[in-house]
Amino acid sequence: MNTATLTRTPSARGPRLLTRTLASEWSKLWSVRSTWWCLASAAVLMVLSTLTLGGAHSTDIANHNVPEKTFEASEAVVSATTFVQFALIAMAMLVITSEYGSGLIRATFQATPVRGRVLAAKAMVLAPVMFVAGVVTGGIATAVEYLLLSLDAFGGSIRVTPAGTVADLCTTGVYFALVSLLTVGLGAAMRSAAGTLTAAFMLVMGLPLTLAMSGSQVALDISMRMPMFAGLAFMGSTDNLTGGRIPYSSAEGLAWLVAWAVLGLVAGHIVLRRRDA
Amino acid sequence: MISLNGLTKRYGDKIVVSDLSLSIKTGAVTGFLGPNGAGKSTTMRMIVGLDRPSAGSVTIGGLPYARITEPLRTIGALLDARAVHPGRSGHAHLVALARSNGIPLRRVAEVLETVGLGAAARKRAGALSLGMSQRLGIAAALLGDPGILMFDEPVNGLDTDGVRWVRGLMRSLADEGRTVFVSSHLMSEMQLTADHLVVIGKGRLIMDAPLTEVIARSSLTAVVARTPHAGELASRLTAAGIGVERLGENELVATGAAIERVGDIAHEAGVRLHELRTREASLEQAYQELTEGSVEYGART
Ligand SMILES: Nc1ncnc2c1ncn2[C@@H]1O[C@H](COP(=O)(O)OP(=O)(O)OP(=O)(O)O)[C@@H](O)[C@H]1O
Ligand SMILES: [Mg+2]
Repeated sequence: MNTATLTRTPSARGPRLLTRTLASEWSKLWSVRSTWWCLASAAVLMVLSTLTLGGAHSTDIANHNVPEKTFEASEAVVSATTFVQFALIAMAMLVITSEYGSGLIRATFQATPVRGRVLAAKAMVLAPVMFVAGVVTGGIATAVEYLLLSLDAFGGSIRVTPAGTVADLCTTGVYFALVSLLTVGLGAAMRSAAGTLTAAFMLVMGLPLTLAMSGSQVALDISMRMPMFAGLAFMGSTDNLTGGRIPYSSAEGLAWLVAWAVLGLVAGHIVLRRRDA
Repeated sequence: MISLNGLTKRYGDKIVVSDLSLSIKTGAVTGFLGPNGAGKSTTMRMIVGLDRPSAGSVTIGGLPYARITEPLRTIGALLDARAVHPGRSGHAHLVALARSNGIPLRRVAEVLETVGLGAAARKRAGALSLGMSQRLGIAAALLGDPGILMFDEPVNGLDTDGVRWVRGLMRSLADEGRTVFVSSHLMSEMQLTADHLVVIGKGRLIMDAPLTEVIARSSLTAVVARTPHAGELASRLTAAGIGVERLGENELVATGAAIERVGDIAHEAGVRLHELRTREASLEQAYQELTEGSVEYGART
Protein backbone atom coordinates (compact mmCIF):
# COMPACT_ATOMS: atom_id res chain seq x y z
CA MET A 1 0.00 0.00 0.00
CA ASN A 2 1.00 3.64 -0.04
CA THR A 3 2.88 5.66 2.51
CA ALA A 4 -0.34 7.24 3.75
CA THR A 5 -1.42 4.00 5.33
CA LEU A 6 1.96 3.39 6.89
CA THR A 7 2.33 6.76 8.60
CA ARG A 8 -1.23 6.99 9.83
CA THR A 9 -1.64 7.75 13.50
CA PRO A 10 -4.16 5.73 15.46
CA SER A 11 -7.65 7.00 14.83
CA ALA A 12 -8.86 9.66 17.21
CA ARG A 13 -12.25 9.53 18.88
CA GLY A 14 -14.89 11.71 20.54
CA PRO A 15 -13.42 14.51 22.65
CA ARG A 16 -10.12 14.39 20.74
CA LEU A 17 -11.98 15.03 17.50
CA LEU A 18 -13.83 18.00 18.99
CA THR A 19 -10.53 19.43 20.23
CA ARG A 20 -9.18 19.31 16.69
CA THR A 21 -12.24 21.00 15.23
CA LEU A 22 -11.90 23.65 17.94
CA ALA A 23 -8.24 24.20 17.08
CA SER A 24 -9.15 24.53 13.43
CA GLU A 25 -11.95 27.03 14.09
CA TRP A 26 -9.72 28.97 16.45
CA SER A 27 -7.05 29.40 13.80
CA LYS A 28 -9.67 30.35 11.22
CA LEU A 29 -11.09 33.05 13.51
CA TRP A 30 -7.77 34.80 14.03
CA SER A 31 -6.44 34.50 10.49
CA VAL A 32 -8.86 36.95 8.90
CA ARG A 33 -8.74 40.69 9.30
CA SER A 34 -12.50 41.06 9.72
CA THR A 35 -12.25 39.60 13.24
CA TRP A 36 -9.81 42.30 14.29
CA TRP A 37 -11.86 45.01 12.61
CA CYS A 38 -15.02 43.93 14.40
CA LEU A 39 -13.27 43.79 17.77
CA ALA A 40 -11.67 47.20 17.23
CA SER A 41 -15.03 48.65 16.18
CA ALA A 42 -16.65 47.14 19.24
CA ALA A 43 -14.01 48.74 21.47
CA VAL A 44 -14.36 52.18 19.88
CA LEU A 45 -18.16 52.01 19.93
CA MET A 46 -18.09 50.87 23.54
CA VAL A 47 -15.88 53.73 24.70
CA LEU A 48 -17.79 56.38 22.75
CA SER A 49 -21.28 55.27 23.69
CA THR A 50 -20.32 54.69 27.33
CA LEU A 51 -18.91 58.21 27.49
CA THR A 52 -22.02 59.68 25.88
CA LEU A 53 -24.44 57.75 28.08
CA GLY A 54 -22.41 58.40 31.24
CA GLY A 55 -22.10 62.09 30.34
CA ALA A 56 -25.86 62.35 29.87
CA HIS A 57 -26.39 60.69 33.25
CA SER A 58 -24.01 63.13 34.97
CA THR A 59 -25.85 66.04 33.41
CA ASP A 60 -29.22 64.65 34.53
CA ILE A 61 -27.92 64.34 38.08
CA ALA A 62 -26.36 67.81 38.02
CA ASN A 63 -29.72 69.24 36.83
CA HIS A 64 -31.66 67.20 39.44
CA ASN A 65 -33.68 65.49 36.68
CA VAL A 66 -33.27 62.14 38.39
CA PRO A 67 -33.64 61.24 42.05
CA GLU A 68 -30.20 59.62 42.58
CA LYS A 69 -27.12 61.60 43.62
CA THR A 70 -24.39 59.33 42.23
CA PHE A 71 -24.16 56.59 39.63
CA GLU A 72 -21.99 53.55 38.93
CA ALA A 73 -19.67 54.09 35.95
CA SER A 74 -20.20 50.60 34.51
CA GLU A 75 -23.99 51.10 34.28
CA ALA A 76 -23.31 53.05 31.11
CA VAL A 77 -21.55 49.99 29.69
CA VAL A 78 -24.72 47.98 30.13
CA SER A 79 -26.74 50.57 28.23
CA ALA A 80 -24.03 50.80 25.57
CA THR A 81 -24.40 47.08 24.72
CA THR A 82 -27.48 47.99 22.69
CA PHE A 83 -25.19 49.61 20.11
CA VAL A 84 -21.96 47.74 20.61
CA GLN A 85 -23.54 44.34 20.07
CA PHE A 86 -23.88 44.91 16.34
CA ALA A 87 -20.12 45.00 15.81
CA LEU A 88 -19.93 41.65 17.58
CA ILE A 89 -22.99 40.25 15.81
CA ALA A 90 -21.18 41.05 12.55
CA MET A 91 -18.16 39.13 13.76
CA ALA A 92 -20.20 36.09 14.83
CA MET A 93 -22.12 36.18 11.58
CA LEU A 94 -18.96 36.26 9.45
CA VAL A 95 -17.66 33.13 11.15
CA ILE A 96 -20.24 31.15 9.23
CA THR A 97 -21.60 33.30 6.39
CA SER A 98 -18.12 34.03 5.00
CA GLU A 99 -17.68 30.28 4.59
CA TYR A 100 -20.87 29.96 2.58
CA GLY A 101 -20.08 33.10 0.62
CA SER A 102 -16.67 31.86 -0.48
CA GLY A 103 -17.47 28.15 -0.78
CA LEU A 104 -15.01 27.38 2.01
CA ILE A 105 -17.80 25.58 3.85
CA ARG A 106 -17.29 22.68 1.44
CA ALA A 107 -13.65 22.33 2.45
CA THR A 108 -14.71 22.60 6.09
CA PHE A 109 -17.30 19.82 5.78
CA GLN A 110 -14.91 17.66 3.80
CA ALA A 111 -12.47 17.92 6.68
CA THR A 112 -15.18 17.50 9.34
CA PRO A 113 -18.19 15.75 7.86
CA VAL A 114 -20.05 15.67 11.16
CA ARG A 115 -21.60 19.07 10.65
CA GLY A 116 -22.93 19.44 14.17
CA ARG A 117 -19.35 19.29 15.40
CA VAL A 118 -18.40 22.19 13.15
CA LEU A 119 -21.27 24.30 14.47
CA ALA A 120 -20.48 23.33 18.05
CA ALA A 121 -16.83 24.24 17.58
CA LYS A 122 -17.70 27.61 16.08
CA ALA A 123 -20.01 28.31 19.02
CA MET A 124 -17.46 27.13 21.57
CA VAL A 125 -14.77 29.32 20.08
CA LEU A 126 -16.99 32.38 19.80
CA ALA A 127 -18.55 32.31 23.25
CA PRO A 128 -15.38 32.82 25.32
CA VAL A 129 -13.97 35.33 22.83
CA MET A 130 -17.17 37.35 23.06
CA PHE A 131 -17.15 37.14 26.83
CA VAL A 132 -13.62 38.47 26.97
CA ALA A 133 -14.49 41.13 24.38
CA GLY A 134 -17.33 42.31 26.62
CA VAL A 135 -15.21 42.39 29.77
CA VAL A 136 -12.22 44.06 28.14
CA THR A 137 -14.02 46.66 26.03
CA GLY A 138 -16.37 47.35 28.95
CA GLY A 139 -13.41 47.64 31.32
CA ILE A 140 -11.61 50.10 29.07
CA ALA A 141 -14.78 52.11 28.57
CA THR A 142 -15.46 52.22 32.31
CA ALA A 143 -11.93 53.43 33.03
CA VAL A 144 -12.04 56.13 30.36
CA GLU A 145 -15.49 57.21 31.46
CA TYR A 146 -14.47 57.42 35.09
CA LEU A 147 -11.28 59.35 34.36
CA LEU A 148 -13.16 61.96 32.35
CA LEU A 149 -16.43 62.26 34.25
CA SER A 150 -14.82 62.39 37.69
CA LEU A 151 -13.46 65.80 36.72
CA ASP A 152 -15.10 68.55 38.76
CA ALA A 153 -16.72 70.03 35.65
CA PHE A 154 -19.06 67.02 35.48
CA GLY A 155 -20.29 67.37 39.01
CA GLY A 156 -18.40 64.39 40.47
CA SER A 157 -21.47 62.18 40.61
CA ILE A 158 -19.76 59.15 39.03
CA ARG A 159 -18.52 56.32 41.25
CA VAL A 160 -16.77 53.00 40.77
CA THR A 161 -17.28 50.10 43.12
CA PRO A 162 -15.47 46.81 42.60
CA ALA A 163 -18.61 44.70 43.05
CA GLY A 164 -20.74 46.81 40.71
CA THR A 165 -18.05 46.93 38.03
CA VAL A 166 -17.34 43.20 38.10
CA ALA A 167 -21.05 42.38 37.93
CA ASP A 168 -21.72 44.75 35.04
CA LEU A 169 -18.68 43.69 33.02
CA CYS A 170 -19.32 39.98 33.51
CA THR A 171 -22.99 40.16 32.62
CA THR A 172 -22.08 42.24 29.57
CA GLY A 173 -19.62 39.54 28.51
CA VAL A 174 -22.19 36.80 28.99
CA TYR A 175 -24.78 38.80 27.06
CA PHE A 176 -22.41 39.22 24.10
CA ALA A 177 -21.53 35.53 24.22
CA LEU A 178 -25.19 34.46 24.13
CA VAL A 179 -26.14 36.90 21.37
CA SER A 180 -23.22 35.64 19.30
CA LEU A 181 -24.45 32.06 19.72
CA LEU A 182 -27.89 33.09 18.50
CA THR A 183 -26.22 34.81 15.55
CA VAL A 184 -24.00 31.92 14.53
CA GLY A 185 -27.05 29.63 14.64
CA LEU A 186 -28.99 32.06 12.46
CA GLY A 187 -26.02 32.22 10.10
CA ALA A 188 -26.00 28.44 9.71
CA ALA A 189 -29.71 28.53 8.96
CA MET A 190 -29.69 31.52 6.58
CA ARG A 191 -26.24 31.17 5.01
CA SER A 192 -26.15 34.65 3.49
CA ALA A 193 -24.63 37.60 5.32
CA ALA A 194 -27.48 39.94 4.40
CA GLY A 195 -30.14 37.49 5.55
CA THR A 196 -28.36 36.72 8.81
CA LEU A 197 -27.74 40.34 9.67
CA THR A 198 -31.37 41.23 8.99
CA ALA A 199 -32.67 38.31 11.02
CA ALA A 200 -30.31 39.03 13.92
CA PHE A 201 -31.15 42.72 13.93
CA MET A 202 -34.89 42.02 13.84
CA LEU A 203 -34.76 39.44 16.63
CA VAL A 204 -32.35 41.27 18.87
CA MET A 205 -33.59 44.83 18.49
CA GLY A 206 -36.00 45.60 15.64
CA LEU A 207 -38.91 43.43 16.74
CA PRO A 208 -38.60 43.99 20.49
CA LEU A 209 -38.56 47.77 20.01
CA THR A 210 -41.44 47.76 17.54
CA LEU A 211 -43.55 45.47 19.71
CA ALA A 212 -42.75 47.42 22.88
CA MET A 213 -43.84 50.66 21.25
CA SER A 214 -46.99 49.19 19.72
CA GLY A 215 -49.11 49.93 22.78
CA SER A 216 -50.64 46.46 22.98
CA GLN A 217 -50.06 44.66 26.27
CA VAL A 218 -49.58 41.26 24.61
CA ALA A 219 -47.02 42.73 22.22
CA LEU A 220 -45.24 44.40 25.13
CA ASP A 221 -45.13 41.12 27.06
CA ILE A 222 -43.69 39.31 24.06
CA SER A 223 -41.12 42.00 23.39
CA MET A 224 -39.89 41.81 26.98
CA ARG A 225 -38.93 38.16 26.35
CA MET A 226 -36.88 38.94 23.29
CA PRO A 227 -33.08 39.19 23.44
CA MET A 228 -32.73 42.94 23.88
CA PHE A 229 -34.92 43.28 26.98
CA ALA A 230 -34.02 39.87 28.33
CA GLY A 231 -30.42 41.07 28.09
CA LEU A 232 -31.12 44.38 29.80
CA ALA A 233 -32.95 42.57 32.59
CA PHE A 234 -30.11 40.11 32.96
CA MET A 235 -27.54 42.89 33.10
CA GLY A 236 -29.49 44.59 35.89
CA SER A 237 -31.30 47.31 34.02
CA THR A 238 -35.01 47.57 34.74
CA ASP A 239 -36.19 50.26 32.33
CA ASN A 240 -38.39 48.87 29.53
CA LEU A 241 -37.95 52.08 27.49
CA THR A 242 -41.69 52.82 27.51
CA GLY A 243 -41.68 54.27 30.99
CA GLY A 244 -42.41 50.94 32.68
CA ARG A 245 -40.25 48.21 34.13
CA ILE A 246 -39.09 44.87 32.79
CA PRO A 247 -41.42 42.54 34.68
CA TYR A 248 -38.98 39.87 35.77
CA SER A 249 -35.69 39.19 37.50
CA SER A 250 -32.14 39.13 36.21
CA ALA A 251 -32.08 35.32 36.45
CA GLU A 252 -35.15 35.01 34.26
CA GLY A 253 -33.55 37.38 31.79
CA LEU A 254 -30.60 35.00 31.58
CA ALA A 255 -32.97 32.08 31.06
CA TRP A 256 -34.64 33.83 28.13
CA LEU A 257 -31.28 34.68 26.60
CA VAL A 258 -30.10 31.10 26.88
CA ALA A 259 -33.35 29.95 25.31
CA TRP A 260 -32.81 32.26 22.34
CA ALA A 261 -29.23 31.11 21.88
CA VAL A 262 -30.31 27.47 21.99
CA LEU A 263 -33.15 28.14 19.58
CA GLY A 264 -30.75 29.76 17.11
CA LEU A 265 -28.23 26.93 17.35
CA VAL A 266 -30.90 24.22 17.00
CA ALA A 267 -32.38 25.94 13.95
CA GLY A 268 -28.90 26.25 12.45
CA HIS A 269 -28.12 22.62 13.17
CA ILE A 270 -31.32 21.36 11.59
CA VAL A 271 -30.63 23.26 8.36
CA LEU A 272 -26.96 22.24 8.34
CA ARG A 273 -27.85 18.58 8.56
CA ARG A 274 -30.63 18.65 6.00
CA ARG A 275 -29.42 20.90 3.22
CA ASP A 276 -26.71 20.16 0.72
CA ALA A 277 -23.62 22.19 1.44
CA MET B 1 -11.83 2.23 -3.05
CA ILE B 2 -14.83 4.34 -3.97
CA SER B 3 -18.05 2.47 -4.71
CA LEU B 4 -21.19 4.06 -6.07
CA ASN B 5 -24.32 1.99 -5.63
CA GLY B 6 -27.34 3.13 -7.58
CA LEU B 7 -26.32 6.71 -6.89
CA THR B 8 -29.06 9.14 -7.88
CA LYS B 9 -29.51 12.88 -7.41
CA ARG B 10 -32.64 14.85 -8.16
CA TYR B 11 -32.96 18.63 -8.01
CA GLY B 12 -36.70 19.22 -8.04
CA ASP B 13 -38.01 17.27 -11.02
CA LYS B 14 -34.71 17.09 -12.78
CA ILE B 15 -32.70 13.91 -12.41
CA VAL B 16 -29.11 15.02 -12.55
CA VAL B 17 -27.40 11.77 -11.63
CA SER B 18 -29.26 8.62 -12.46
CA ASP B 19 -28.62 5.24 -10.90
CA LEU B 20 -24.83 5.23 -11.19
CA SER B 21 -23.19 2.02 -10.03
CA LEU B 22 -19.47 1.58 -10.39
CA SER B 23 -16.30 1.33 -8.41
CA ILE B 24 -13.20 3.35 -8.94
CA LYS B 25 -10.03 1.35 -9.31
CA THR B 26 -7.16 1.53 -6.87
CA GLY B 27 -3.72 2.45 -8.14
CA ALA B 28 -4.94 3.93 -11.40
CA VAL B 29 -5.98 7.23 -12.88
CA THR B 30 -9.68 7.13 -13.71
CA GLY B 31 -10.85 9.89 -16.00
CA PHE B 32 -14.39 11.11 -15.43
CA LEU B 33 -15.84 12.46 -18.65
CA GLY B 34 -19.11 13.87 -19.80
CA PRO B 35 -20.58 16.95 -21.45
CA ASN B 36 -21.38 20.12 -19.47
CA GLY B 37 -24.14 19.46 -17.00
CA ALA B 38 -23.71 15.68 -17.21
CA GLY B 39 -23.52 15.46 -13.42
CA LYS B 40 -19.78 15.00 -12.82
CA SER B 41 -19.40 17.66 -10.16
CA THR B 42 -22.64 16.58 -8.50
CA THR B 43 -21.37 13.00 -8.33
CA MET B 44 -18.10 14.17 -6.80
CA ARG B 45 -19.92 16.27 -4.20
CA MET B 46 -21.96 13.23 -3.22
CA ILE B 47 -18.80 11.14 -2.89
CA VAL B 48 -17.44 13.48 -0.21
CA GLY B 49 -20.77 13.79 1.55
CA LEU B 50 -21.50 17.40 0.64
CA ASP B 51 -24.67 16.60 -1.28
CA ARG B 52 -27.05 13.98 -0.04
CA PRO B 53 -28.01 11.36 -2.65
CA SER B 54 -31.72 11.22 -3.50
CA ALA B 55 -31.28 7.45 -3.76
CA GLY B 56 -28.44 4.97 -3.61
CA SER B 57 -25.21 5.43 -1.72
CA VAL B 58 -21.48 5.96 -1.91
CA THR B 59 -18.88 4.27 0.23
CA ILE B 60 -15.18 4.86 0.56
CA GLY B 61 -13.30 1.81 1.69
CA GLY B 62 -16.67 0.42 2.76
CA LEU B 63 -17.63 3.44 4.88
CA PRO B 64 -19.96 6.32 4.13
CA TYR B 65 -17.95 9.55 4.08
CA ALA B 66 -19.38 10.91 7.32
CA ARG B 67 -18.13 7.84 9.21
CA ILE B 68 -14.49 8.38 8.29
CA THR B 69 -12.80 9.88 11.34
CA GLU B 70 -9.94 11.66 9.58
CA PRO B 71 -11.29 12.04 6.08
CA LEU B 72 -8.46 14.21 4.76
CA ARG B 73 -6.07 11.34 5.42
CA THR B 74 -8.26 9.01 3.38
CA ILE B 75 -9.46 11.09 0.48
CA GLY B 76 -8.30 14.48 -0.72
CA ALA B 77 -10.54 16.37 -3.09
CA LEU B 78 -10.25 19.49 -5.16
CA LEU B 79 -13.79 20.44 -6.11
CA ASP B 80 -13.63 24.18 -6.51
CA ALA B 81 -10.38 26.11 -6.48
CA ARG B 82 -12.11 29.25 -5.26
CA ALA B 83 -13.40 27.60 -2.10
CA VAL B 84 -11.08 29.61 0.13
CA HIS B 85 -11.81 32.63 2.30
CA PRO B 86 -10.48 35.49 0.15
CA GLY B 87 -9.09 37.28 3.19
CA ARG B 88 -7.14 34.34 4.60
CA SER B 89 -3.68 33.41 3.37
CA GLY B 90 -3.23 30.08 1.64
CA HIS B 91 -0.88 29.09 4.43
CA ALA B 92 -3.41 29.84 7.18
CA HIS B 93 -6.09 28.03 5.15
CA LEU B 94 -4.00 24.88 5.07
CA VAL B 95 -3.06 25.20 8.75
CA ALA B 96 -6.75 25.26 9.72
CA LEU B 97 -7.44 22.20 7.56
CA ALA B 98 -4.44 20.34 8.95
CA ARG B 99 -5.50 21.03 12.55
CA SER B 100 -8.99 19.71 11.91
CA ASN B 101 -7.63 16.30 10.95
CA GLY B 102 -4.64 16.05 13.28
CA ILE B 103 -2.23 16.39 10.38
CA PRO B 104 1.26 17.53 11.45
CA LEU B 105 1.79 21.18 10.51
CA ARG B 106 5.04 20.42 8.68
CA ARG B 107 2.85 18.92 5.94
CA VAL B 108 1.66 22.46 5.14
CA ALA B 109 5.13 23.54 4.08
CA GLU B 110 5.64 20.24 2.26
CA VAL B 111 2.52 20.46 0.11
CA LEU B 112 3.10 24.14 -0.61
CA GLU B 113 6.53 23.11 -1.85
CA THR B 114 5.03 20.31 -3.95
CA VAL B 115 2.57 22.60 -5.73
CA GLY B 116 5.17 25.35 -6.10
CA LEU B 117 3.18 28.06 -4.37
CA GLY B 118 6.06 29.26 -2.20
CA ALA B 119 5.90 32.88 -1.09
CA ALA B 120 2.46 33.41 -2.62
CA ALA B 121 1.05 31.25 0.18
CA ARG B 122 1.45 34.19 2.55
CA LYS B 123 -0.72 36.43 0.41
CA ARG B 124 -4.47 36.79 0.83
CA ALA B 125 -6.06 33.95 -1.13
CA GLY B 126 -8.34 36.46 -2.84
CA ALA B 127 -5.27 37.98 -4.49
CA LEU B 128 -4.20 34.70 -6.12
CA SER B 129 -4.69 34.10 -9.83
CA LEU B 130 -6.96 31.26 -10.94
CA GLY B 131 -3.98 29.04 -11.65
CA MET B 132 -2.47 29.74 -8.23
CA SER B 133 -5.81 29.07 -6.52
CA GLN B 134 -5.91 25.79 -8.39
CA ARG B 135 -2.49 24.93 -7.01
CA LEU B 136 -3.64 25.83 -3.51
CA GLY B 137 -6.66 23.56 -3.98
CA ILE B 138 -4.37 20.73 -5.05
CA ALA B 139 -2.16 21.39 -2.03
CA ALA B 140 -5.23 21.06 0.21
CA ALA B 141 -6.11 17.75 -1.43
CA LEU B 142 -2.60 16.40 -0.87
CA LEU B 143 -2.39 17.67 2.72
CA GLY B 144 -3.39 14.48 4.52
CA ASP B 145 -1.26 12.26 2.24
CA PRO B 146 -4.45 10.39 1.30
CA GLY B 147 -4.70 7.15 -0.62
CA ILE B 148 -7.50 8.50 -2.78
CA LEU B 149 -7.46 11.77 -4.69
CA MET B 150 -10.30 13.36 -6.53
CA PHE B 151 -9.94 16.40 -8.79
CA ASP B 152 -12.70 18.27 -10.56
CA GLU B 153 -11.16 19.89 -13.63
CA PRO B 154 -7.76 20.43 -12.02
CA VAL B 155 -6.06 21.98 -15.04
CA ASN B 156 -8.68 24.71 -15.35
CA GLY B 157 -6.72 27.96 -15.46
CA LEU B 158 -3.26 26.41 -15.43
CA ASP B 159 -0.58 27.45 -17.90
CA THR B 160 1.08 24.85 -20.14
CA ASP B 161 3.76 24.12 -17.55
CA GLY B 162 1.05 23.74 -14.96
CA VAL B 163 -0.91 21.35 -17.17
CA ARG B 164 2.15 19.21 -17.69
CA TRP B 165 2.89 19.32 -13.98
CA VAL B 166 -0.64 18.12 -13.09
CA ARG B 167 -0.31 15.30 -15.63
CA GLY B 168 2.94 14.18 -14.02
CA LEU B 169 1.50 14.55 -10.53
CA MET B 170 -1.51 12.38 -11.29
CA ARG B 171 0.65 9.72 -12.91
CA SER B 172 3.04 9.65 -9.99
CA LEU B 173 0.19 9.51 -7.45
CA ALA B 174 -1.29 6.51 -9.25
CA ASP B 175 2.13 4.90 -9.57
CA GLU B 176 2.52 5.16 -5.79
CA GLY B 177 -0.58 2.99 -5.55
CA ARG B 178 -3.11 5.74 -4.96
CA THR B 179 -6.52 6.02 -6.53
CA VAL B 180 -6.93 9.10 -8.71
CA PHE B 181 -10.36 10.15 -9.94
CA VAL B 182 -10.28 13.18 -12.17
CA SER B 183 -12.79 14.98 -14.34
CA SER B 184 -11.72 16.97 -17.35
CA HIS B 185 -12.88 18.30 -20.68
CA LEU B 186 -9.39 18.15 -22.14
CA MET B 187 -9.45 14.87 -24.04
CA SER B 188 -5.86 15.10 -25.20
CA GLU B 189 -4.78 15.42 -21.55
CA MET B 190 -6.96 12.52 -20.50
CA GLN B 191 -5.60 10.35 -23.27
CA LEU B 192 -2.12 10.93 -21.87
CA THR B 193 -2.99 10.46 -18.19
CA ALA B 194 -5.92 8.13 -17.70
CA ASP B 195 -5.78 4.36 -17.38
CA HIS B 196 -9.48 3.96 -17.08
CA LEU B 197 -12.48 6.02 -18.12
CA VAL B 198 -15.94 6.60 -16.75
CA VAL B 199 -18.14 8.47 -19.20
CA ILE B 200 -21.55 9.81 -18.25
CA GLY B 201 -24.16 11.78 -20.15
CA LYS B 202 -27.31 13.33 -18.72
CA GLY B 203 -26.49 11.65 -15.44
CA ARG B 204 -26.38 8.14 -16.89
CA LEU B 205 -23.42 5.84 -17.19
CA ILE B 206 -22.33 5.54 -20.82
CA MET B 207 -19.04 3.71 -20.44
CA ASP B 208 -16.85 2.30 -17.69
CA ALA B 209 -13.83 0.74 -19.35
CA PRO B 210 -10.05 0.93 -19.74
CA LEU B 211 -8.85 3.73 -21.99
CA THR B 212 -7.45 1.26 -24.51
CA GLU B 213 -10.78 -0.47 -24.80
CA VAL B 214 -12.69 2.78 -25.27
CA ILE B 215 -10.38 3.65 -28.13
CA ALA B 216 -10.46 0.18 -29.64
CA ARG B 217 -14.23 0.15 -29.60
CA SER B 218 -14.53 3.40 -31.49
CA SER B 219 -15.73 3.10 -35.05
CA LEU B 220 -12.94 5.47 -35.96
CA THR B 221 -10.39 2.93 -34.89
CA ALA B 222 -9.80 1.07 -38.12
CA VAL B 223 -7.40 -0.99 -40.19
CA VAL B 224 -5.77 0.74 -43.14
CA ALA B 225 -4.63 -1.41 -46.04
CA ARG B 226 -2.52 -0.31 -49.02
CA THR B 227 -2.71 -2.73 -51.92
CA PRO B 228 -2.69 -2.67 -55.69
CA HIS B 229 -5.87 -4.80 -55.57
CA ALA B 230 -7.96 -2.52 -53.41
CA GLY B 231 -11.16 -3.28 -55.31
CA GLU B 232 -10.81 -7.03 -54.87
CA LEU B 233 -10.01 -6.74 -51.15
CA ALA B 234 -12.90 -4.34 -50.64
CA SER B 235 -15.46 -6.75 -52.02
CA ARG B 236 -14.05 -9.67 -49.97
CA LEU B 237 -14.18 -7.59 -46.79
CA THR B 238 -17.70 -6.40 -47.52
CA ALA B 239 -18.75 -9.98 -48.09
CA ALA B 240 -17.34 -10.83 -44.66
CA GLY B 241 -19.54 -8.13 -43.14
CA ILE B 242 -16.73 -5.67 -42.49
CA GLY B 243 -17.28 -1.96 -43.15
CA VAL B 244 -15.04 -0.62 -45.90
CA GLU B 245 -14.20 2.84 -47.08
CA ARG B 246 -11.98 3.51 -50.08
CA LEU B 247 -9.37 6.16 -49.44
CA GLY B 248 -7.80 6.21 -52.87
CA GLU B 249 -7.06 3.89 -55.73
CA ASN B 250 -4.67 1.76 -53.69
CA GLU B 251 -5.91 2.32 -50.19
CA LEU B 252 -8.90 1.35 -48.06
CA VAL B 253 -10.02 1.52 -44.47
CA ALA B 254 -11.76 -1.40 -42.78
CA THR B 255 -13.78 -0.76 -39.65
CA GLY B 256 -15.13 -3.20 -37.11
CA ALA B 257 -12.49 -5.89 -37.51
CA ALA B 258 -9.14 -6.65 -35.94
CA ILE B 259 -6.04 -6.28 -38.02
CA GLU B 260 -5.42 -10.06 -37.95
CA ARG B 261 -8.78 -10.76 -39.55
CA VAL B 262 -8.20 -8.26 -42.34
CA GLY B 263 -4.76 -9.79 -42.97
CA ASP B 264 -6.21 -13.32 -43.10
CA ILE B 265 -8.92 -12.32 -45.55
CA ALA B 266 -6.33 -10.67 -47.77
CA HIS B 267 -4.20 -13.79 -47.64
CA GLU B 268 -7.12 -16.08 -48.57
CA ALA B 269 -7.97 -13.82 -51.48
CA GLY B 270 -4.37 -13.82 -52.62
CA VAL B 271 -4.26 -10.05 -52.46
CA ARG B 272 -0.78 -8.53 -52.23
CA LEU B 273 -0.45 -6.06 -49.35
CA HIS B 274 2.00 -3.18 -49.36
CA GLU B 275 0.95 -1.95 -45.98
CA LEU B 276 -1.42 -3.03 -43.24
CA ARG B 277 -1.73 -0.97 -40.07
CA THR B 278 -4.14 0.02 -37.32
CA ARG B 279 -5.31 3.61 -37.24
CA GLU B 280 -6.38 4.44 -33.71
CA ALA B 281 -9.13 6.90 -33.01
CA SER B 282 -8.17 9.73 -30.71
CA LEU B 283 -9.92 9.81 -27.37
CA GLU B 284 -11.55 13.00 -28.56
CA GLN B 285 -13.14 11.13 -31.49
CA ALA B 286 -14.13 8.16 -29.38
CA TYR B 287 -15.63 10.45 -26.77
CA GLN B 288 -17.52 12.42 -29.38
CA GLU B 289 -19.17 9.27 -30.66
CA LEU B 290 -20.04 8.06 -27.18
CA THR B 291 -21.67 11.25 -26.05
CA GLU B 292 -23.30 12.35 -29.30
CA GLY B 293 -26.76 11.61 -28.01
CA SER B 294 -26.31 13.10 -24.58
CA VAL B 295 -25.04 16.62 -25.09
CA GLU B 296 -27.51 18.74 -23.26
CA TYR B 297 -26.03 22.19 -23.38
CA GLY B 298 -24.52 22.46 -26.83
CA ALA B 299 -24.26 25.38 -29.20
CA ARG B 300 -25.80 24.73 -32.59
CA THR B 301 -23.17 24.14 -35.22
N1 LIG C 1 -27.65 22.93 -6.36
C1 LIG C 1 -28.25 22.69 -7.54
N2 LIG C 1 -29.56 22.94 -7.71
C2 LIG C 1 -30.16 22.69 -8.88
N3 LIG C 1 -29.55 22.16 -9.96
C3 LIG C 1 -28.26 21.89 -9.86
C4 LIG C 1 -27.53 22.13 -8.65
N4 LIG C 1 -26.27 21.74 -8.84
C5 LIG C 1 -26.19 21.29 -10.11
N5 LIG C 1 -27.39 21.37 -10.71
C6 LIG C 1 -27.69 20.93 -12.09
O1 LIG C 1 -27.26 19.61 -12.20
C7 LIG C 1 -26.75 19.37 -13.49
C8 LIG C 1 -25.39 18.73 -13.38
O2 LIG C 1 -24.47 19.67 -12.92
P1 LIG C 1 -22.95 19.32 -12.65
O3 LIG C 1 -22.32 20.56 -12.17
O4 LIG C 1 -22.86 18.12 -11.80
O5 LIG C 1 -22.44 18.98 -14.11
P2 LIG C 1 -20.97 18.74 -14.60
O6 LIG C 1 -20.96 17.43 -15.27
O7 LIG C 1 -20.00 18.95 -13.50
O8 LIG C 1 -20.82 19.90 -15.68
P3 LIG C 1 -19.53 20.76 -16.10
O9 LIG C 1 -18.78 19.93 -17.06
O10 LIG C 1 -20.14 21.94 -16.77
O11 LIG C 1 -18.78 21.09 -14.88
C9 LIG C 1 -26.79 20.68 -14.22
O12 LIG C 1 -27.93 20.69 -15.05
C10 LIG C 1 -26.92 21.70 -13.14
O13 LIG C 1 -27.65 22.80 -13.58
MG1 LIG D 1 -18.49 20.36 -13.13
